[in-house]
Amino acid sequence: MKKKSLLLMLSMLLVLSAFLAACSSDSGSDTNDGDADGDQAEAPAGEPAEGGTITYGIEAVPEGLFNWAFYGIATDKEVLDLFDESLITYDENLTPQPHIASWETEDNKVYTFTFEQGVKWHDGEELTVHDWVFALETIADPDYDGPRYTNVQTIEGAPAKNDGSAETISGINVIDDYTVEITFDEARVNNLENVWQYPMSRAQFADIPVAEMSASPQVRQNPVGIGPFKVENIVPGESIELVKFDDYWQGEPKLDSIIVQVLDSSTVVGAIGQGDIDMIDLAPVNGQEVEALDNITVEVYPALTYYYVGFKLGTFNAQTNEITEDKDKYADLNLRKAMAHAINREEWIEAFFFGYGLPVNGPVPSNHWIAADSEDVNVYDYDPELAKQLLEEAGYVDVDGDGFVEDPNGEPFVAKFSHYATSNPTFEARSQAIVQYWNDIGINAELEMTEVNLYYEMVEKDDPSIETFFGGWGTGTDPDPTALWGSDQIWNYPRWKNEESDKLLADALNLEIVGEDQDVRKDLYVQWQELVTSEVPMIFIAELQDITALSNRMGGVTFDVSGKNSPYEWFVTE
Amino acid sequence: MLKYTIRRILGMIPMLLLISIVVFLLAKAMPGDSLSGEIDPNNTDPEYIEDMRERLGYNDPLPVQYFNWISNFVQGDFGKSTRYKMPVSDLILEKLPNTVFLGVSSLLITYILAFSMGIIAGRKPYTIGDHIIGGLNYLGLAIPSFIAGVFAIYIFSFNLGWIPYSGSVDIRLTQGTFEYWMSRIHHVIMPAIVLGALSTASYTQFLRNDIIENSRKDFVRTARAKGTPTSKIYNVHILRNSIIPLVTFLGFDIATIISGAIITETIFTYPGIGQLFIDSVFNRDYPTLMAITMMLSVLTLAGNLVADILYGVVDPRIRLD
Repeated sequence: MKKKSLLLMLSMLLVLSAFLAACSSDSGSDTNDGDADGDQAEAPAGEPAEGGTITYGIEAVPEGLFNWAFYGIATDKEVLDLFDESLITYDENLTPQPHIASWETEDNKVYTFTFEQGVKWHDGEELTVHDWVFALETIADPDYDGPRYTNVQTIEGAPAKNDGSAETISGINVIDDYTVEITFDEARVNNLENVWQYPMSRAQFADIPVAEMSASPQVRQNPVGIGPFKVENIVPGESIELVKFDDYWQGEPKLDSIIVQVLDSSTVVGAIGQGDIDMIDLAPVNGQEVEALDNITVEVYPALTYYYVGFKLGTFNAQTNEITEDKDKYADLNLRKAMAHAINREEWIEAFFFGYGLPVNGPVPSNHWIAADSEDVNVYDYDPELAKQLLEEAGYVDVDGDGFVEDPNGEPFVAKFSHYATSNPTFEARSQAIVQYWNDIGINAELEMTEVNLYYEMVEKDDPSIETFFGGWGTGTDPDPTALWGSDQIWNYPRWKNEESDKLLADALNLEIVGEDQDVRKDLYVQWQELVTSEVPMIFIAELQDITALSNRMGGVTFDVSGKNSPYEWFVTE
Repeated sequence: MLKYTIRRILGMIPMLLLISIVVFLLAKAMPGDSLSGEIDPNNTDPEYIEDMRERLGYNDPLPVQYFNWISNFVQGDFGKSTRYKMPVSDLILEKLPNTVFLGVSSLLITYILAFSMGIIAGRKPYTIGDHIIGGLNYLGLAIPSFIAGVFAIYIFSFNLGWIPYSGSVDIRLTQGTFEYWMSRIHHVIMPAIVLGALSTASYTQFLRNDIIENSRKDFVRTARAKGTPTSKIYNVHILRNSIIPLVTFLGFDIATIISGAIITETIFTYPGIGQLFIDSVFNRDYPTLMAITMMLSVLTLAGNLVADILYGVVDPRIRLD
């Protein structure tokens, strides 16, 4: 009798939780339908109130380099996005759209940029093209200590400025305060996407030598921008107060102020539950716990990062920039395919990213406009039987009866898998899971966790102890994957050399082949993705999703693949 | 005493030099450097990394790197943080007020608790009160500060809403006003209690044992025979003698105030030296790491010296020289 009632209670709990789950998943996607069932989806769709202050949480401590030309970490970028903005924006297909600057070009080599008039810096000065030229010349300066020179070096004359032989960049021709002509060193399809798109206040920085800029108060304590909010006060390492900028060029922002608050990861869920935080980007591990709170809406949207398991196929010569495919342990294509089919990606993502991710079938996250459909690439779904069969075809059979296969010569075969180690305890578990998948199809696999600061250096230097390795890459707005896949690139970590791939990547950038037609370019990239997935230099595992928690009083926030919309449009409903 | 002090200070120099060599080598022995770690292909390029390694001197032989660093250091140039891209001295000065404020508050809490509990336990040893105090003390000693911190936040911030769980001050208040300082105190109180209460055990028990021991000494019996009131015996005669061993702790406390509490500062997102230190280790920020280590070494040595000198002040029977 007792047992029965327990069962009954359990099943009721199950029904109840299913019901609750259905409720909460509705609330995430549903817009306001006027139904008064107390659902939390209603608040975000409410009417904007006048003014108001929101608290914006961040989980990591900013470095305090609040300038686009000098910042290094994503946390600083999050803060920058609140008070400064780019000259050009990207739509949900990641195509550039005119914003403060619009452009014209005839040959993809010479561009004429025209700025909006009346755009004000927070210090009251007007934004002109001179501020942008100032940013470009600062970045090209030999004393510049930030990492952005790649975004300027394609401008004609930038290398001369960078090695000190020229005072200015010859490819920049200022026509008037709102018009500038920029000449690149050659015509490319992606000159626009690649060039540096942030101005830098000439009035603020003019008297500071370039070498001292990154340590200057103009970067650290009193940064000025052109965005909808201006920095009012910074308490280093814990909070930043931003107030609305009345002279913002698109009009007065709706919110009065934004408080950026640094939180320790152990207090995030509690702080959100208490209603202290209006907006915060969450780590996957906290996602489900926060979704269960009823004062919060959790928004999930695609990101441009993906994780993979790479095979070392060769070595890179840093002097000649050449790859030689001289490692033959994983040279057998069927072996690589078998190892790919062995991994249950859905299960792995569910376990270690709590469902906030999707299996990815190629080297481009599925939301990028060049991403191939899954019909156009080779998909390696979880299929242990097929994996075993492929192994056998490749000559990997268990000769000595220990349960693990030997290589075609009858020698013991041990696959070594490397993963980076940080203080994050899930890393070891998730890599152990991959080793286990390989064990299950009969491959004797071993895990090696390497300290993260050493890890990428070992991968980069083709250390003999790296055989198969875990990694992650992000794709930028410019889709060109040459830096990660070209045969002369240090970041081609698998050391995969393929002439056809090089040719496809070069063609996709070749103006004479591609011209203005994005579809032609996409088609070439689809062919390239088909090639990469048929050769399996890496097993593509997962693409991640970004998770943002919003309190129910927040409105006007939208998300797409390029991130959040401008804080200019955010509001609160009470 | 002056001669003694000078001799001690001179003796510190080779010791500090040795410490600097050991710390430098240990720092360099950590895998990777400030430019390695996770790479973002949109944000970095290999040439930049190579260029920065050359500029920061990471490609020089170790003795050259050490010599460059120490010669600048002796001249007061602590270098520029590789992570924050600002002079290390400014960086430390930015965090120091927070840490000193937290350190002094926690020490104050420790002293108040330890003195009151130690005196009660020492005057009436082996009673229920003594046992309760002993039990509480060892409980405090046994609870790791990160557990205590998380629970304190959960109970006092999230359930009761009494105290903030993050930061050192409310950013909206104007610096220097009364509300500003109240907000500082409001923010520091919980981390200070967590830090202070957990470390009372050693103070209390030392004090208690000394009071018990001293109360059996001849001079106490003499004082009693003369008819001195018990409270005066305890508060003047015994207490003064019992404080001496505690002076040793004071030396270490000076360094502790500065070194802060790495874990407590992190959990309460209280930006101070402790947080900066652990950060510099994780990011291989050598200039910051070395400057903080050297600062703490100097303070520990100086603290010990001060403690030794104070012995002479508290107890005239102890003669230095």
